[in-house]
Order: sequence, then C-alpha cells, then structure tokens
Amino acid sequence: MTIQIKDLTISYQDHDHALLALDRLDLALHPGKITALVGESGSGKTTLGKAVMGLLPENARTKGSISLDGTQILGLDEPAMNQLRWSQVAMVFQNGAASLNPVHSLADQVAEPLIQKGTARKKAMAAARDLLGRMGIDADQAGRYPHELSGGQVQRGLLAMSLILDPPVLLLDEPTAALDAMTKVFISRVIQDLRNAGKTILLITHDLDLARNLADAIAVLYLGRIMEYLPGTDLVDRPCHPYTLALVRAFPFMDGMRDLGGIRGDAFYRMVHAHARENGRTHEHVHVAAPDAVHQGGHAPPRGCLFQPRCTQAVVECSFGDIGFTASDTHQVRCIRGGIARILSFEKVAKSFGKVKALAPTDLTLMAGEVFCLVGETGSGKTTLASIAAGAVAPDQGRRIFQDRDMDTWMKTDFASLAPKIGMIYQNPAESVSHRFTVFDIVAEPLRIQKQETDPEKMRARVLAALADVRLSTAPEFLKRYSHELNMGAIQRVCIARALVHAPDLLIADEPTSSLDPSVQAKVLKMLLGLQIEKGLTMLFVTHDIGLARKVADRIGVMAEGTIIETGPAATIINYPEQACTKMLINSARGSGHPDPGIHSRL
Amino acid sequence: MRIWKKKWSTPVLVYLTAALLMAYASFRLPHLLPGDFVTAMYAGSDVTLNAEQEAELRAFYQNTDGFQGYLRNLATLDWGYSHAFMAPVSQLFLQALPWTLLLMGTAHVLSTLLGFVLGVEAAWRRGSLLEKAGVGIMTVLEGIPEICSGVLLLLVFALSFGWFPAAGAQMAYADHTFGQWLADVVHHLTLPLATLILAYLPGNFLLARAGMVMVLESWFVLTARAKGLPPVRVRYAHAARNALLPMVTRFGLRFAFMITGALVVETIFSYPGLGTLLFNAIAMRDLPLVQGIVLFSSIMVLVVNLGMEYVYHLLDPRVGHAS
Repeated sequence: MTIQIKDLTISYQDHDHALLALDRLDLALHPGKITALVGESGSGKTTLGKAVMGLLPENARTKGSISLDGTQILGLDEPAMNQLRWSQVAMVFQNGAASLNPVHSLADQVAEPLIQKGTARKKAMAAARDLLGRMGIDADQAGRYPHELSGGQVQRGLLAMSLILDPPVLLLDEPTAALDAMTKVFISRVIQDLRNAGKTILLITHDLDLARNLADAIAVLYLGRIMEYLPGTDLVDRPCHPYTLALVRAFPFMDGMRDLGGIRGDAFYRMVHAHARENGRTHEHVHVAAPDAVHQGGHAPPRGCLFQPRCTQAVVECSFGDIGFTASDTHQVRCIRGGIARILSFEKVAKSFGKVKALAPTDLTLMAGEVFCLVGETGSGKTTLASIAAGAVAPDQGRRIFQDRDMDTWMKTDFASLAPKIGMIYQNPAESVSHRFTVFDIVAEPLRIQKQETDPEKMRARVLAALADVRLSTAPEFLKRYSHELNMGAIQRVCIARALVHAPDLLIADEPTSSLDPSVQAKVLKMLLGLQIEKGLTMLFVTHDIGLARKVADRIGVMAEGTIIETGPAATIINYPEQACTKMLINSARGSGHPDPGIHSRL
Repeated sequence: MRIWKKKWSTPVLVYLTAALLMAYASFRLPHLLPGDFVTAMYAGSDVTLNAEQEAELRAFYQNTDGFQGYLRNLATLDWGYSHAFMAPVSQLFLQALPWTLLLMGTAHVLSTLLGFVLGVEAAWRRGSLLEKAGVGIMTVLEGIPEICSGVLLLLVFALSFGWFPAAGAQMAYADHTFGQWLADVVHHLTLPLATLILAYLPGNFLLARAGMVMVLESWFVLTARAKGLPPVRVRYAHAARNALLPMVTRFGLRFAFMITGALVVETIFSYPGLGTLLFNAIAMRDLPLVQGIVLFSSIMVLVVNLGMEYVYHLLDPRVGHAS
C-alpha cells in the first residue's frame, strides 16, 4: 500500500496566532521500503504521523492531501477514518510506557483491536501472546501491567500491538528512543523483517544511526520543511544540505571520530499571523519566532531559506524568495547553492622553491562549514599547501577557486574584498606577533591593514569582542600588555582573536597547538572548535598529529611527498586506511612499528 | 489475575484489630465519664426512670462480664434498652437501618453513576456549549447545601403543590398490595432522594470531569484512538477507567459517613432512618441508643475502608506498589 503525501501544510491555531508545523510537505511511502523522517525536536515529525492517522488535535488546520493507494484520507470523517486505523495504518507512538494504558495488561491491550474487530476473546488472546512471544516477551511477561515492564519490553509490546491486525502501513515514531543497544538491534531487525515482508514503513526518528542503517530513503525535516531527500546510505558520507551535515555532526555515531559539534543557533517555531489591515482585509503571513517570543507588530514576513540564520554558507541571495529543490542523481536539496558549497578548490596546484619541489600538482576541495585536516610528516608539503590556500604564496601552476571565483584574478583585481574572507593562525604563536605590539595592536592589525574600520570606537568594540570570543580578558591593563608578558596559551589565543577579528569565512590553522602543552592544547582546541561551530567557519587544519586530527576533523587529507595521497571522512581514514603511508602514520601514532617493511627500509 | 502483592488477609487483620480497639473504647468510655452518668443521662429530658429501671441500667453499664461479655452482647444484638423510646436499642436500630440504607445507598449509587457518566461525556465534549453550561450549573449547585435545597423542595413540592408527602417513608397502617406498597415507598423516597442527589451529583460530576480531562491528554488515549476502537470503548475502557479512582474514593468516604450524611435530610423530611433516630436520641440524651449508632457508624467506616483496599487493587494494578 502506497501513501502519497502532497503539499501538506498543517498549523496549530492559537487565538490569532498559528504555529506552522508542516509546510508544503511532499513524501511518498512505498511498499517494501523504509522511509525515514529525521530532524530536530519541533521540526514536525510527530505531527506528520498524527496527520496520517487522522489524530490531529482539534486546533489543527490542514491543507494539501494524504492519499492511501489513491484514496484521499486527509479530512475523512471519524467513522471512515476509524475503519482505516490500525487495520490499514498502525503506529508505534513515542514515549514508551506512557503510550500504554496503565490499568490493562499488555496482552489485553495487544489483543484489544482484534477483539473489537470480532475475533473471539480466547483466540485473540492466543494471537496476542504468540505475537508478543515472537517479539521476545514470554507468556508471563505478557500478562503484566505496563508499570511492571522494562522500557525494552514496553517497546517490543508496542511494536507487537501495532502488528496485531497485520496492517500494510506502519508508522514508527522513535521506536528505539531510550533503549539499550541490544534491544535497539532487536527492534531494528524486526523492522527490517517487516520491510522484507513488503510493509510500507515510515520511520520517524532523531536517531541518525538507526535511520542510516534501516532507511532506503531519508527526508530531512527542518521547521516543517523538507530540506533534503537522500538515500539512506549517503547520510553520513555524503550529506548535501548544510543542515543534514550539521545533524550528522551533532550525532554520536559509534564510529564518529570528531568531538560532537552542535548546530549553531536555535531552531524556532514558525508562526502564521493574521493582521487586520486598514482596509479591513486580513493579511496572513509566516514569521519565525522564538518559543517564548511575545509577538510584536511591525516585523517582516520571512523570506528565503529557513535554515539561513544557522547556515555556514549563507549568502545574500539566501534571504529572498521561496527556495526550491536542486536535484542531483540521488539527492534533492532545498538550497540555492545546490547543497553544501565548495568554499575552496585547487585544481592541479603545484609549487617549487628553486629546485625543491614543495608541492606536486594537487587537487583539494574544501566544503563550506567543514573542518578539513591535512596530516602528514614534516616536509610533506602541508605548510606550502596551507600558504597557497591562504593566498600568501602564489602557486607555479594550477587554479585556485575561492567562493566560486578564480582566486588569482580576484587577488589582482580586488584584493581588499578577498583578504577579510580568510583568516590565518600560524605555527609558532610567539614568532607570529611583533614584540613591539601590544595585545590591542596585534588584534587590531588586520582591521587597520584592510581599512575595514576607521571609527576608533567601533574598532575597539570589535577587538574586545574578538578577545572575549577567545576567552581572554578585555581589561584595559591586559590590552596594553606585550606578547613577552603572556604565556604561550594566551599568545595563541591572541593569534586566534587576530585571525577572527575580521570575520573570515575560511580559517586556516597551521599547527595551531603544536607548541602548547597538552592541557593548554585541549583548552585552546575546544575553544577553537566551539568558535568554528558558533561562527559557521570552514577550517583548514594542518597538523602532523593524526591522533589530534581525528578529534578535530570532519574529513582528513593525508599528505606525503608533496601531494595529497588519500582523502576521506575522518572515521574512514582512521579505521580503513588504504595507503601504506596512512597506515604507517596511524600505527606510529598508536606507538607500534610500521606495518610495511618497504616503508621501513625506505626511511 | 494477580491482584494482591501481599497476602490478601493482611488488611483484614489490621482492620479487625482497629475494630476491636474501637469496641474497647466504647466499652470503657462510660466508666471514664466523671460523676454518675446514669443519673445525668436522662436528667435534662422528659424520661423518668423508676428505681428498678435505674438499677437495671446501672447493672448494664457495670459490665460485670468484662470486655468479653460486652463483645458477646454486641454480637447477640443485646445493645441495651432505650428508656426514651421504650424499646430495645437493637430493635430501634434495625427498624431504622433499612430506610437509611435505601435512601443513602440509592442516593450514592445514583449520584455517583450519573455524575461519572455526565462528567466523562462532558470532558469528551470539552469546549462545547453543552459542556460549558454543564460545568456552570454544576458549580452553582455544588454551592447549595442540602439543608437549603431540602427545605426548598419540601416547601415547593410537598407543601405548596402537594405532589409528594412531607414526612415518613411509607403510609402508616395502609392495607397495600406489594405493588402499591412499593409505589408508596418510592413516592415517599423521591424528595429526600432528590435532595441528596442534588447535593452529591455536582461534586461527582466535577470530579469525574476534571479527572477525565487530565486523562484525555495522555498518550495512551491517543494510542487507543489510533487503534481504531469504537469511541465508547476509548472513552470508558481506556480514559474513564483511569479517572475512576478518585470517584471510588469519594464514594467510599461518603458511604462510610452515611449516618451523619443522612442526619440533615432525614430530619428535614422526618424520614425514619438512622439519622432521625440519632438526632432524636441526642435530643433525649438516650445514651445507649447514641452509643449503639455511633459504634455502628465507626465500624461502618472500617468496613467500607477495608472494601476500598480491595476495590483499588481491582481498579488499578499500580496501587499495590505504592503501599
């Protein structure tokens, strides 16, 4: 049985306000397929499930259509809808035990729909016990009341209950939330079996691990709008929308390497308002409001991309019009930039210093909002590559494209507009600052050179803000300090503040913590990654320490002999390295010998 | 079905002990009263005792048989002699008891059932005009005490229109067939019963509605609706069942205090139940009768409470865990 959801808009009315829960949502659920709906809390996932079941609260207003094998079911009257419920579409609700009636035994509740459809009580109870048994709940447990069951048993019971009438369509709302790993595995096997039995399954979850393991297709929901449709297998390795990437980055995957990163900013509810105009006509529009916001008149209706305030690659155009989908072979992405944009790409870039070939022709792509780590031995060309990326060194050959513009042409024609977009943190903090400069001068220098700020008051404010960002003092005495008066950690923080004071899009950090002791390094790194999330920066992070890289990077590029030999998601590179050199780096970092005697002898 | 976590007999033993303690208190109390209470007893009323009667009364309260004898007397319905009514206490008591049971039992059962169903249906139709009107009317009624509504009903329907009798439980000395007798009893019962229902129904309605409104918000009600169950089943087997506990508590409490509850209404309508009897006994200072009724009343509280323990277990499997 196929479910087609077309142009579905649902809002909850509350006096003259309405909370927009789903906005023009299209989704198709097919037999034998698992479609996952993922997104943060409040994105409208559960509303969709309730809408399909016809269980929306009375204050819900709906538009669009939901059809079951071509039959429209949205807005069907209660008796007709009640005929479909459970026999055609069944749902496993979230909230575990709260979804079971506390005063009836589990088996009674499982058998109930069968009894109500006319099966004899004895037969129905036997069927319920049998089904519960297949879910791993024995006859003794089946007779218990919900409060006598564990969370896992409740979840198995709810699943059994949804299957009692053998419905062709199943809606599973967070079926594994708050479960231990073993029960989770059991439940996901059951779901897989159901898929193989030809059931149409909608999996509503914020468990991305479950979604990627089970789903054939994934729809990513944000504030009631679908941001991306993608195949389940691509969720971790090839998310195309910045929001999908951000979700993945925030999720504690077992094989995730990088420390968890949140998504910057907060999701807001969207309100639909009707205002009376002077001519008496009401005018309805949508605007975004914080959950506790009190409505004040005079706001502009939101236009453009909903995710734009939190996005790492927002451009001016993101704020206009209604953003449609950009389709590729397997993905559909609601982003005018066609998904996660390349911020920087190298095509066959090479560089020699005299006779020394520092960089062989190398390709490199940096995606907006990611942390890309270059790792490799000293002399493998990391710093050269980083300097070329920063525009500090001109390559001998090849093309550099930064934010869709040729970097060399850009530098020649309009360097003033390019320079503020890139920030740099150097390897040796003490040497990268002039000892004649005070802290204030060090941080203010980029603004002065780039002539970004002429008003001394505003400049001071920006410097203070940058220092506050890196958790340094903003006291006047501190601003007058010289670099030799500061410890290494503080100097590096000053350098980071200097790199961020002009609000760059790309931050290049060349061994930013190699001169720091581990405890200071940990603090500085934590702060740096926090800033990366908060400001939506793209980061090129250069380090020789692959152990560090795996805690920092979304993707890792391994350099050897002047070029990048291997690129991939951090987890893939660390767990399944392909190149001998990468294996050697990892094993050295682990303190064991080189696995490849060939490399050993070459050293 | 596993209902009791602990042995079923445990609560019975506890309550039995309490009943014995109470009986002992009623056995000891007359002895503890200061002065000569047999003399004091009828001093303020019109009853005059001759020497023989007084001696007999004193002997009765001497309890020469001790507590055991007292218990034996209680069990054999030898509760003493009421000189004010010139009849044995147990006889007076047993004559009055059926009328109180009839009046109070009917009133409680009807007002609880009716209040529950109305409350459940009102909560289900929350926000409708009917529900809002219902809540408004019931709130107003809840504020009117039975002493007020009873007198009003008496004035209007018995004294002014003359539709119903103003006193008694049946027509005295009438030669009725059983059917006629029954009609007569119902006729007499109507006004006191109406007064009690007016007094008890609003509270039951509001309690049921409030409980139900809370329950309807729960996830399991949503699940029940999703299961495609008939609406009546969703309402009663799933939602109302969970709103039942406070109703049962209220029913039990009211029933336990049946006699004091009956006092006002029975007195207004001169209904020959325990309430009237107690009222008259107090007015006459007829201690044996008062003592008998009060002891029965307190045993009643215990019995009802004991019953509730089991009813709770039956209604909500979670109760066993709380204690």
